[in-house]
Amino acid sequence: MRTAPCPSNALAPDLARLSEILGGLPIGIAALDLDCRIVFMNKALEDLTGFTSHEAAGIPCHHVLRCGLHLRGVRQAETAGRGDEPVKGRETDIIDRHRHKLPVRVTRIDVKNEQGGVFMFLEAYEDLAPLHDMERRLKDVAGAGELISRGEAMERIKKVLPAIAQSDSPVLVTGETGTGKDLSAQVIHKASPRARGPFVRVNLGPMPEHLLEIELYGRVAEEGEAVPGCFQRANGGTLYLSELADLPAAHQAGLVRVLDDQTIIPAGSDKGVRVNVRLVAATHKDPEELVRAGVLREDLFHRLSAVRVHLPPLRDRGEDVEFLLTHFLSRFAARFKKDIKGFSPRAIRILRSHPFPGNVRELKNIVEYAAMICQKDMILPAHLPGHILAALKADEPPVPGRPGENRGRKRS
Amino acid sequence: MSMRTKKILIPLFRDEVAPRFDLAGEALIVAVSEDGTVEGRQNLVLPNASADDLCDLVLSRDIDTVICGGIEEEYYHYLRWKRVDVLDAVAGTAEAALTRFLAGRLKSGDMLFAGGDSRV
Repeated sequence: MRTAPCPSNALAPDLARLSEILGGLPIGIAALDLDCRIVFMNKALEDLTGFTSHEAAGIPCHHVLRCGLHLRGVRQAETAGRGDEPVKGRETDIIDRHRHKLPVRVTRIDVKNEQGGVFMFLEAYEDLAPLHDMERRLKDVAGAGELISRGEAMERIKKVLPAIAQSDSPVLVTGETGTGKDLSAQVIHKASPRARGPFVRVNLGPMPEHLLEIELYGRVAEEGEAVPGCFQRANGGTLYLSELADLPAAHQAGLVRVLDDQTIIPAGSDKGVRVNVRLVAATHKDPEELVRAGVLREDLFHRLSAVRVHLPPLRDRGEDVEFLLTHFLSRFAARFKKDIKGFSPRAIRILRSHPFPGNVRELKNIVEYAAMICQKDMILPAHLPGHILAALKADEPPVPGRPGENRGRKRS
Repeated sequence: MSMRTKKILIPLFRDEVAPRFDLAGEALIVAVSEDGTVEGRQNLVLPNASADDLCDLVLSRDIDTVICGGIEEEYYHYLRWKRVDVLDAVAGTAEAALTRFLAGRLKSGDMLFAGGDSRV
């Protein structure tokens, strides 16, 4: 490894030894002289920047490392180590020799001699690109985290959710299936002061009443071992009850009590346990109708509907249909590693006329299916699920001939 | 037949070629006649450091050649697509880079600091 003339010839053997030690580290390290010229770079930094230590030796570091931190005025390169604020684990970026901008984390260490005087600096560069890639991948796999829209109706709701998140009041989310009730509950939790606490989702689907009680409030077993209920699991965070209408009337009274006292009584115990939980409940049915039908207790409805969010069905979201089709297509094309550029005009026409009773969930599934079976660079009507085409055929005037006869035939 | 004037833009970091195109706070524009005579020069302080704004400046001022340090691939190819010559990864003072360019010897990757290889 070639090094630039070192600050003091007496230190040359030390530098040679140092460069040997740093050479094997997996983190990029640059040794700089007091004028911030490169003395040497280890192998990991050579790989990161694309420059060899030999080429870079003697060059001002900002021309080799091209680090945003040095150039954005947080720290001027030539005043490094002279009393300015320490650089420790600062995230920034560099541009490598191959014209790629790479995220990095920088830490600087002053290297002192026996008299305590600084004679050189070591700068460590950690490549954050793999971590950023993983973050993107995980976000994509989860498929959640944000409500995707462009239309006015959803944008209005997205603006209101952060404000709703700041209070501790219970929230009732309504909307047809597939409109994003679960996602809205998660957005409220993530934007709330409880974001660091747990988010517990409970599906109140049909289950025996005694099991439901344990699921909600937990149990104190005879041996003294407690089984925590969802309120205890969500303590300090948010409890999301995903289908309120499925909750039997007897348990609704219990829920009213919890909302009033913030106290639960686990099964097998007569002692109340204090909990600190924000409740978000959802239903795909009209809650007023549920109250009228006696399925939902009026007192529970009034407590929950202090803050109410109604998510519009996709058919009322105008331009969102085309926007979501494009959004999900790019996501699934990337996942299936296909170069699909878009939808054919006829496929778009068919999808635009589809009512999407399953809303965004249905649209997403349709696009996933189409992207999965598409072997061309364009989604054609033939790539759409059968039920879409069948519904279309049912709406069209009868054509002479057997059903399905025209499939795959070129249009004249 | 009138001689065509060529325009060169160098993003600046103090008196040096800015190490990064996207973080340059100033730019030097030099007009050079075909015989290599400098006909005019202008120092511009940029309102904010931005690769997009700098590309706009290059196009709006009909720049023929950009001499710069590190530049992201997409901006490099954009400028090339707009028929602007880009000599990138140049490290040194703007004057040293300009002198070498006018002598017809400047290439991408030239390191014009004492102690460095002449080309990286």
